[in-house]
Amino acid sequence: MKTPLDPKAVIRDRRIVVCVGTGGVGKTTLAACFALEGARLGRRTAVLTIDPARRLADALGVAELGNEPTDLPRERLTALGVPPEGRLAALMLDMKRTFDALVARFADSEEARQRILGNRIYQHVSDALAGSAEYSAMEKVFELSEREDFDLIVVDTPPSQHALDFLEAPRRLLEFLDSRLVQILLHPAFAAGRLGFRIFQRGTERVLRVIERISGVSFLEDISEFLLAFEGMSEGFRERARQVQDRLVGPDAAFVLAASPAPQATSHALGMLDRLAAARVPLAGVVVNRVHLWPGVGPTPERVPEQEQDEAAVAALAAALAADAGADFPANDAARAALACADGYAGWVRDDAESTAQLEARVARSGGFVRRVPELAGDVHDLEGLVHVGDWVFGGPASGADAGRSEGA
Amino acid sequence: MLPLLDRRLVIVTGKGGTGKTTVAAALAIVAAAAGRRVLVAEVGLDEHLPAIVAPGARPVGYDGRDLAKGLRAMRIDPYEALAEYLGLQIGLRGVVRRVFENRAFRQLMDASPGWRELITLGKVWHLEQMQDEQGRNRFDLIIVDAPATGHGLTFLDVPRVVGSAVRAGPLRRHAGWVEQMIRDPDRTLLLPVALAEELPARETAELVQRLREDVGVPVDRVVVNAVAPAPFPPGAGDLDERLARLPAHLRIPGAPPVAVLAACAAHWRGRHELNARWTQVIAESTELPIVTLPRLAHGARGRDALSVLGHALVREGAVAP
Repeated sequence: MKTPLDPKAVIRDRRIVVCVGTGGVGKTTLAACFALEGARLGRRTAVLTIDPARRLADALGVAELGNEPTDLPRERLTALGVPPEGRLAALMLDMKRTFDALVARFADSEEARQRILGNRIYQHVSDALAGSAEYSAMEKVFELSEREDFDLIVVDTPPSQHALDFLEAPRRLLEFLDSRLVQILLHPAFAAGRLGFRIFQRGTERVLRVIERISGVSFLEDISEFLLAFEGMSEGFRERARQVQDRLVGPDAAFVLAASPAPQATSHALGMLDRLAAARVPLAGVVVNRVHLWPGVGPTPERVPEQEQDEAAVAALAAALAADAGADFPANDAARAALACADGYAGWVRDDAESTAQLEARVARSGGFVRRVPELAGDVHDLEGLVHVGDWVFGGPASGADAGRSEGA
Repeated sequence: MLPLLDRRLVIVTGKGGTGKTTVAAALAIVAAAAGRRVLVAEVGLDEHLPAIVAPGARPVGYDGRDLAKGLRAMRIDPYEALAEYLGLQIGLRGVVRRVFENRAFRQLMDASPGWRELITLGKVWHLEQMQDEQGRNRFDLIIVDAPATGHGLTFLDVPRVVGSAVRAGPLRRHAGWVEQMIRDPDRTLLLPVALAEELPARETAELVQRLREDVGVPVDRVVVNAVAPAPFPPGAGDLDERLARLPAHLRIPGAPPVAVLAACAAHWRGRHELNARWTQVIAESTELPIVTLPRLAHGARGRDALSVLGHALVREGAVAP
């Protein structure tokens, strides 16, 4: 096994940190937490969030949709232990504006620009369909990484069914623009001479015409117009997409997977590991959020109280509670409730360890770090809360090997 | 409120991670146990439901499979549904299939808005119309596990958009049938599933507001899932603090140290209070009755656990057949 990476080293040495994971596993919180740690290490950090909870957005100063980074006030940063050279700026992605800006950059004339922005297909495409949310997030990351005034860019990725859509968006866009179907739609005469193309074209066109007839929508016209308008700018766009992708899978970038112990979430996370591996993206590590950790030393008990000890345990605990309470305190019921809490909690600890074991082992085997953040009693909604989460992420190693052990209360 | 089991179509929706699929499975199990012929349909790229009902179960696919007596499960794949639809309309099934295998064609379709939602709901409508040999409904209750919330609304709004954008033709007629179905309070219910935490609570409030303002699909209750029950008996509300004050050297037979008991109790109380607070927020912001489901000590997988949740789900005024 390789020496595992250390999350602190990742934050210190890389230029781009990308947090991936499915919805509902605390990805946004994790991105904010990594960014704050970056600032605390003295780096000039920007964090790109997609859809933060309102109070976290307020805490980061991005309650208003802002497509430009906004700095946190210096006194706030100082209170959080950020040194003078450190900086933390946050922004929330505005997909439409980012994508429109991209079109404006690469359109070869004002007329082409207007034609694209006004096209129905484009309007749908830029409305978060077909990976444009992913693409515009990547574009924004690239733009930020070009700037001289940030050392570290931490990015939260859009929620999508397959979180790697983010990474694959430029390739898919290029593939689509390069595809035979698109070439045929653009240059039917060129393709007509080739038999294979012709058969393909006939079948496809027939189906498209049927869809048009049923739907009454001029699908082909809109698509062709969009593609023609796009063709003029596709060279610049293509080059840009290539650069963006190179940077994101390059040595300066690191991917961190956010996960949670919910069985569905871990199976998603395992699928994501496969896809990262297939795309040859090295994973820096995984942070499993909301894990129940046993608050004592030693292994998690199978049962609380142990077999045959029920009555003795209730009696002893009730006596101790009664000694410290008034006569009307329901000591017996309270003792049972306290033991039941511990028993239920131990059950969750075991369930979580079981559902995350495979994920953690796979990441650890490939040399990535594994960190667990315990389920906290409240929401994480302020910067102090992020520091607290950070203590678990950046504090010390917790590899799959000590799944049964746990941290002190 | 019309009892859940007496609907024709229940569309379960909610943000990712709220346990939407678990709720769909729990409702399906309890309805099948009550003698209903149930179809539960997942929408999306992946199948999760069969494994929740029976750990290790194989995927059911578009053709579907019975998971238990009276309980059929399927996954609605939009491409399969489109091929079936085009096949029914014009009998081009062979050509359709070949064209669908083409990657660029799929990219083109992937980039085209709206049709997935419409064809999926169209398939649901088709299933709702299906009859058996005796001329009865093939399914008494159809449960749809809709895409996570953001998509969930787009999903339901598409027939209306199509209806207003397309002026004539079969599609307009079909979209009209679908729209009629999903807006009919005697047939259809949208069942939002939330967690009693900040983000899902906020999303649920937005969902219900948009349902009322734009989409017009009936909603009459919100399911709040995985609520930590009150941990302490009445009169012992500060139990975790009392435990923390006990002398550290105290040994309870067969139990961990009192500091550990105190930590577990404090965690429970924290979760319970957080859940109670956000449940309240959901109730106030949506102005709807709340059905809470308990967080189960050993997870919500398998028939028994789902049965417990299912009964909690239909407890209010549900009538046996």
